[in-house]
Amino acid sequence: MIELQGIGRTYRRPGGEPVVALDDVSLRIERGDFMAIVGTSGSGKSTLMNVLGLLDRPDTGRYLLDGEDVAGLDVDRQARVRNRRIGFVFQAFHLLPRTTALENVELPLVYSDRAEIAGLGRRALEQVGLADRIEHRTSELSGGQQQRVAIARALVNEPDLLLADEPTGNLDTKSAADVLSVFESLNQGGRTIVLVTHDPSVAAHCARVARIEAGRIVAIQERQATAVGARA
Amino acid sequence: MSTTRLLRSSLEALGRHKLRSGFMMLGSLIGVAALTFVLTIGAAAQQKLLDTVRQLFGPSSIVVSGGGGFFLGGPRGEAARLTLDDAAALAEEVSEVESWDPMQVVPGAQVRRGDASASVRVLGESERSERVWDRGVSQGEYFDAAAVAGSARLALIGETVAHALFRGEDPIGAEIQIGSVPFRVTGILERQGTDIHGMDRDNEIVIPISTAMRRVMNVDTIRAVKLLVRDPHRVDETAKAVTRVLRERHALAEGQPSDFTLMTSSAVQKNVQKVERVLFLYLPLVAGISLLAGGAVAATLMLSSVSARVGEIGLRRAVGARPRDIRLQFLMETAVTAVGGGLLGAALGSGLAVYLAGRMSFGVGVSPGAVALGIALAALTGLVAGVVPARRAALLEPAVALR
Repeated sequence: MIELQGIGRTYRRPGGEPVVALDDVSLRIERGDFMAIVGTSGSGKSTLMNVLGLLDRPDTGRYLLDGEDVAGLDVDRQARVRNRRIGFVFQAFHLLPRTTALENVELPLVYSDRAEIAGLGRRALEQVGLADRIEHRTSELSGGQQQRVAIARALVNEPDLLLADEPTGNLDTKSAADVLSVFESLNQGGRTIVLVTHDPSVAAHCARVARIEAGRIVAIQERQATAVGARA
Repeated sequence: MSTTRLLRSSLEALGRHKLRSGFMMLGSLIGVAALTFVLTIGAAAQQKLLDTVRQLFGPSSIVVSGGGGFFLGGPRGEAARLTLDDAAALAEEVSEVESWDPMQVVPGAQVRRGDASASVRVLGESERSERVWDRGVSQGEYFDAAAVAGSARLALIGETVAHALFRGEDPIGAEIQIGSVPFRVTGILERQGTDIHGMDRDNEIVIPISTAMRRVMNVDTIRAVKLLVRDPHRVDETAKAVTRVLRERHALAEGQPSDFTLMTSSAVQKNVQKVERVLFLYLPLVAGISLLAGGAVAATLMLSSVSARVGEIGLRRAVGARPRDIRLQFLMETAVTAVGGGLLGAALGSGLAVYLAGRMSFGVGVSPGAVALGIALAALTGLVAGVVPARRAALLEPAVALR
């Protein structure tokens, strides 16, 4: 589904040393995969996540999404790909304040060209177990519930790929477990999930773990015991 | 992406920040309120001014007032010594003068009829007043030359006076007292309404000038004389001739200021134009500047809104917003608040203008032109104010914005 070939990304700040965030990264992610990308702070894992999510452009290399090189698309086409095919979950939730769960979840539909959008937000909230919190404002929800709202928002356009950047970083242990179990069940339902974390116990929930250090992928481990994805 | 969904999203964003949206609206509200107010009041004042000028001057006339002006604020000269003989001499010696009417006035005379009393402006006029001032009677009869010659105690009363003293009874033939002098009412003056100063021209009584001078005021001067000029194109040169004759009669040396004031219809026209410039250029300009200031406030608030909502912008980009969608959203947010404020301002300004004009009996309606102009300008400033913030928001890199 995803194939990265020789991706490089260097940040040049005026007057400063260039920072190599990604150095010749190649990676394959199959449909139905549940992959963790682990690394320390500054290892390049967030840059890799941004490249995968078309939020940042690599300087070199190719990014094939379902066989199409998406790294070179213009900004409008990339926005369309993000809208239809990728869902994002962030560490800081990024929910709109003073807004109900449902309105937050429906935000991606604003930018969708789908004609029929009625009921999609509600269905996405049901998928994350928040059917009874639809009209609650985000400030009335616990951290774990807020992150589940964010997951529902990522799901609302029914994308193939979910990208989660430290999704449990702001949560207590119990909420983190809830959120991870949502990811696990989504993966069981066939969704491809890529999850960035520095936490080995979170990575332990994933079928495969790619370790990144200084902008390079140094190891990929398979965890057969917890491989619950659709991959045979 | 549908624009309707984006517009709804913009409105929701405005609803999340009610205080800031309120302040953004306030700018265009005040500006548009001021603009519609001055334009609406201005149109009413202009109409009133033209009506008053037409009432006072007609197409071609000269008003000479003794001692200094009470007509539309002319300069104040030496002590008044304009006499009936002066007026008669002008009519005699200046051939362009077709007709003339002398005038004396008691600004606030106490008028009584039985228990009812009123404070009224009493005008002493000649029988020619009916034609010279173009104001006759709606009931009864005007007094004639014989009445003026004989200082008859006859009175023509305005409708306001009639109402105050008679309350629906027929005043014709009844007796009233001006001060302590008894008069017989012979006619009701044609209605004139209020003038530009808000003075009720129907709260007036007209009596023969001789009666006013001898029996009511005990003076031997007149306040003013109105001269009708035969040829409307020769008003200015007639005015020069009038000045020359009067200065001669008053034995004024070269360089000595005149002890009378001339107002001609053409001079008044120039004054009217000056007033119109204030009404339709300077006042709207000031209102426009306040609208501009409101636009600057909106732009500043929108810029701070962009800074405060960097995370939201990043998120919107992540979930599929194109840069142009972000730009459109912020443009719509400023435009919607500006137009919203403009609509409220137009309602407020027009409402206030109509209310105040009603109290000054200007008789004014909502001016659709002023309302349309106000809202259009508000929309324009809103769009212009939104350009820079919207551009800044659209140029944000999503990866940076989400950090």
